[in-house]
Amino acid sequence: MTGARGWGLLLPVILLLLVAFLLPVGMMVPTSFRPYVPLVGITSGFTIGYYTKLVTDSYYLEIIGRTLALGLTVTLCTLVIGYPLAFFLARTRSRWRNWLSILVVFPLLLNLVVRTFGWIALLAQNGLVNQALQALGVVQEPVKLLFNFAGLLIGLTHIFLPFMVLVLIGPIQNIPRDVEDAARVLGASWGSAFLRVTLPLSAPGILSGSILVFVLTISALVTPRLLGGPTYQVMSTLIYDEFLQRLNWPAGSAEALLLTVMVLVLVFLSGVLARGTGARA
Amino acid sequence: MSGAAPALSVRRLRKSFGAVVAVDEVSLDAAPGEFLSLLGPSGCGKSTVLRMVAGLVEPDAGEVVLAGEDITRVAVHRRNLGLVFQSYALFPHMTVLENVAFGLRRRGVGEAELRPRVERVLELVRLGPLGARHPRELSGGQQQRVALARALVTEPRVLLLDEPLSNLDALLRDEMRVELKRLQERLGTTMVFVTHDQAEALILSDRMVVMQGGRVEQIGRPEEVYRRPATPFVARFLGRANFLTGTLAGVEAGGTVVALDGGLSVVAGPRPGLTPGQRVQVAIRQENIRLGPGGAGSDRANRFAATVVFHAFAGPAHHYVVQLADGRELEVAAPGAALALARGARTVIEWGPEDVVLLAGSESAAGGSG
Repeated sequence: MTGARGWGLLLPVILLLLVAFLLPVGMMVPTSFRPYVPLVGITSGFTIGYYTKLVTDSYYLEIIGRTLALGLTVTLCTLVIGYPLAFFLARTRSRWRNWLSILVVFPLLLNLVVRTFGWIALLAQNGLVNQALQALGVVQEPVKLLFNFAGLLIGLTHIFLPFMVLVLIGPIQNIPRDVEDAARVLGASWGSAFLRVTLPLSAPGILSGSILVFVLTISALVTPRLLGGPTYQVMSTLIYDEFLQRLNWPAGSAEALLLTVMVLVLVFLSGVLARGTGARA
Repeated sequence: MSGAAPALSVRRLRKSFGAVVAVDEVSLDAAPGEFLSLLGPSGCGKSTVLRMVAGLVEPDAGEVVLAGEDITRVAVHRRNLGLVFQSYALFPHMTVLENVAFGLRRRGVGEAELRPRVERVLELVRLGPLGARHPRELSGGQQQRVALARALVTEPRVLLLDEPLSNLDALLRDEMRVELKRLQERLGTTMVFVTHDQAEALILSDRMVVMQGGRVEQIGRPEEVYRRPATPFVARFLGRANFLTGTLAGVEAGGTVVALDGGLSVVAGPRPGLTPGQRVQVAIRQENIRLGPGGAGSDRANRFAATVVFHAFAGPAHHYVVQLADGRELEVAAPGAALALARGARTVIEWGPEDVVLLAGSESAAGGSG
């Protein structure tokens, strides 16, 4: 039967998912309800304290809010910068096309830490960006671009831009040129045809690209840690510290589970959205 | 042609893509209310002409004139033309209603006026109840009708159709042909129709333009073009014909005598402009050759003994290949109702002088794809 064969093909992935995702996440669930006593460790007992703290303590709420805001802003920035780029790459007949595509992917070939240190050099108080801004007279005093939202935004946008572009190219390429031409012959100017036809028809790409970048952003660790420093926390750096600095596994588990739930809810909502708008190419 | 100014006039249009000249000095006129088709094999430039008229392709030289107004440099969306694509090019994210309303909305037509106009045109193409559907929920024929309705609703000055029936299956295509023609007669819209299908062009057109290699080969009414092709290419492209080469022997009372290279000679109708001794080509359509022992009283000028070397039955016709005394083979299409002749049967073939198409020159390799 085709059904059985279909499941057979999925088996390796299902096993991998089970061992590498469901099992560890599942094991975190009981851990997150155990009380942690400093200098003693995880004790037996039951508490929902870590969860209530997460949703009531302003320190945690700020970090959660910051993480979500960062995810949204980075997604928006990569979309705004990436869409024109993907549009160009999808449409150009230039013989440089392949080289330009490689250029888009090129940053991914460099080590993440190296790339991030590059940004530290650029964004520092007396870094290249500040020097340029001051030389041009845009600002008098150096702007703070490190260890704050702006720094993370710049660094993460740069790192995740290739993902957005790569995801967008396919769906844009799939839009038949005839359909755009039809809109123009029917009286739509280039801009109007773009807004009413091209953009809605690239919705599937925009949606999947946005989910990808959002999820990558809110779970990114290395870049926020290096560009945010030890004090400017996001959820992933918080979880990291909880597990490896403070050894408070229960708190870390609760935070990690919350992050996982946030991602799952988002993926689910976008699925609903995709069906709702009928966005399918 | 009528004295009225042409609805559409194309003057010495030229377009090349890189080193390839796609359209070379093409000029043509479409009278108001006329159904004009551009016919030719793929790559002959017919679609490029249409796209230049629509404004989607910019010509290198030449003019597009719409009812006396030069629109060569007018932006696509300001031309007020209709264009129906081979791929239909419907907006997949909109309902049928929204698809059809698109052009009216871009023209700022108010919702109150829009609704009845959209419904009227959907009624016209017999899609009345399907307005709320999405294109993907419709059959190919229905999608084609939406495309037609979408183009017609804005009452375009000229409706351009780029192989609109090519994606339909044979039965539906025949149906849509009739529907299209009747629609055109009813609305009186000037239509320019691009096709590679000679039968389609013959059936639909008031006049047809046969193109090859970016140039116009012949313009005329379908009967004219079919009966009196101007070039060997047109003769080859429209219907299946036997091509024979020879020399013009002389002009007699009965017509023109051509001495074929094999030794036989055929009589053709009078054809001015050719001189004796000139190399000529003779084309005789399959269906114009009469097969079988005609009565003794047959006075057909061209009458040859022949042997059947191949026979196949194709429904409305029998297809034969017969061999003449000089060894040359001819293809013959006989009415399907006639009795079949077996392979090897000896028979007589004949045709009248009026059935012979006489063409100057002897190029026998003129590229004719079927």
